[in-house]
Amino acid sequence: MNGLQLYLQSLLNIKHVNYGGYRYIKRWVSPTQKEITRRKRRLPPQSESKRSNFIDWNRNSEIYAFNTRLSEKFDTEKLNQAFTHKSYIVAELKKQQEMGIEEPKLDISHNEEYIEKGREITSEIVKKYLNRSLPRLPEVGIMALHDYLMSEQMLATASSHIGTKDIILTSEHPVSQQTLAQTFVALVGALVESINVDHASAFVRDFLIVGLANKDLTEIWCPTKPFELLNDVIDAERKMSIEARLIGQAGKNTILSVYHVGIYANKEYLGSGFGETIAEAKDVAAINILAQIYGLHHTSQPLRFNEELNVSA
Amino acid sequence: MSLLRKGQQWGTFACVWHIFDATWQDPFKSAHLIKKYLIGLHKPIYHPLNQCGDHVIVINSKEIALRGDHWQKRVYFHHTGYHGGATWTLAWELHSKDPTMIVKKAIYSAMDGTLQRRFTMQRLHIFPDDNVPKEMLENVSNQIKQLRPVPNRLYEIPQEERDKIPRLIQYPSDYQLK
Amino acid sequence: MSNKHLFQKFGFLRAPFGIGVGRYVCQLQRITIKFCKNHGCSLGIRSFLEHDLIDYAKQNPGVVVYVKPRRHRSPVLKAEYLNGETSWICIANFSRQDIIQWMELLKTQYHDGPALRLLKLWHTDFPSIQGPWTPFTFKNPPLNQIKFPDKKIGEALKFKPTATEELITLFEEQQEAEKFDQKIPVQKGVS
Repeated sequence: MNGLQLYLQSLLNIKHVNYGGYRYIKRWVSPTQKEITRRKRRLPPQSESKRSNFIDWNRNSEIYAFNTRLSEKFDTEKLNQAFTHKSYIVAELKKQQEMGIEEPKLDISHNEEYIEKGREITSEIVKKYLNRSLPRLPEVGIMALHDYLMSEQMLATASSHIGTKDIILTSEHPVSQQTLAQTFVALVGALVESINVDHASAFVRDFLIVGLANKDLTEIWCPTKPFELLNDVIDAERKMSIEARLIGQAGKNTILSVYHVGIYANKEYLGSGFGETIAEAKDVAAINILAQIYGLHHTSQPLRFNEELNVSA
Repeated sequence: MSLLRKGQQWGTFACVWHIFDATWQDPFKSAHLIKKYLIGLHKPIYHPLNQCGDHVIVINSKEIALRGDHWQKRVYFHHTGYHGGATWTLAWELHSKDPTMIVKKAIYSAMDGTLQRRFTMQRLHIFPDDNVPKEMLENVSNQIKQLRPVPNRLYEIPQEERDKIPRLIQYPSDYQLK
Repeated sequence: MSNKHLFQKFGFLRAPFGIGVGRYVCQLQRITIKFCKNHGCSLGIRSFLEHDLIDYAKQNPGVVVYVKPRRHRSPVLKAEYLNGETSWICIANFSRQDIIQWMELLKTQYHDGPALRLLKLWHTDFPSIQGPWTPFTFKNPPLNQIKFPDKKIGEALKFKPTATEELITLFEEQQEAEKFDQKIPVQKGVS
């Protein structure tokens, strides 16, 4: 119903240049706009100004909204501390000194403690959760996934998607990836202090581990010597040795040659893979089977993100 | 891109080499069959921009069979572009000069007249007889079935089998066979 | 062929980091309501602010609502989302009911949906369950051992027997029938 109104309005509002016998768009408008655009283009790239510098900004309500948006029960003071970085305090003290105050002091504390503590706890939670959801994956794989989740990029993405970017207090602008990553772990630290570790594990699960949701896990970690590893695994489980057989090939003497290698344990088919050369196909076949065993394959059961961890236990 | 995904993609877009024996086959009907493999229409992953066509080796193109009196009457037209440059070549003449041409032209005309056609034709390899280079033959992993059965000539059937075939009529001794 | 879409932003359907998995988070971060205290086009928004604003703010505690009175300018709703995108809607001459509905819509979005022309209306990271097709999926394994070209495999499919074959089978049946007839007189003699 509003669409029709808008359409009619736009029809009525389109006035041609000589509407009503006088010039509707003044003669000076177009050249002025052109000159402004020309000058804007010549300027160096302008960075966006801080959201907190605009007049429509209320820090207290932003913090409150942050808390309720995430359905969390942060302690407000600790939350504020978690968002304050050391560089901000240093910059503020410097400003006070420049202004002429002899003994510059600020009553806020920074989040370095929270960052350290939070990083340890997040690391622990991630490892425990991965161990729980991928029980068969060896230590190497778990560490690789853990390193991926705890990487700066991942933490920064998680942090910015919660809405910390505008609330953070730092001296730099725009906020760097490192600061965003540190803020995330600082929040975990603050949450541990506010409530407890189990609550924090739910927080980490819902906002960080969830980043693995639609990702190809074999891209994050792939065993380096897959055939040998598979041999060890099958030997340990079934006391059989595996053999690789060529089960198909196409275009042997061309550059686009395809070899189809299948892996068998005691004449029982385990899996197969394709490759440019026989060696590559053998590796791909082994990785295929390992990924299915470990639960990393795209056909395996997807990761669950609703399990509750008892970290303190 | 993980090795797993690369392997899977390599397998899905594999280019297969097919071989087709053209003995006693109608080149024009076979052309419609062969062009499908060349373009990639036999694959569920086909898309015109996909370049998923396969290679086809046609052997024994010297032994193709044309219908009725097409060998005497079918004509291939060519114009050089210059005045008086029109030539009409009969099928038997063309075949004696180059035994692969009839099959090649049949497949070329069976395809759509798009710009892809010249590139797709490069994947076709025609040989007048059995002699295929060893490297090419090693690539082959599938044979395309012929469309019509090769007839059994009387002189190919060994004498013992010929005797076993029941006689329907006995011509009189002085009957003159044409 | 229209070219109305040529200036539109286009993209594939993607969900921001972890949305839908894990707990529900309202993707709207803050709304800024700019309006004029006097002009007629802000009538709707002014009545919204009088009656429905506080209820809206109470129902959505995770959304920060800023109200900015600006003289001699058309009223505007500016929404900022958690993935950093912003979109603004001009609400000049909108009724109060319209504004309520637009505010409800903004809180359910995670980006300005109509602004993005979707190239595909679906997206999946795992398109295949049984594994995509390969030329080897339905290939008969014995074909691996064969040296091409093979006469038997390349033979045309036989749907009907040839005239010669039919004759031979008829002849053999006749022979069988004659043998059977020959046997019967012997049996008759025995009985």
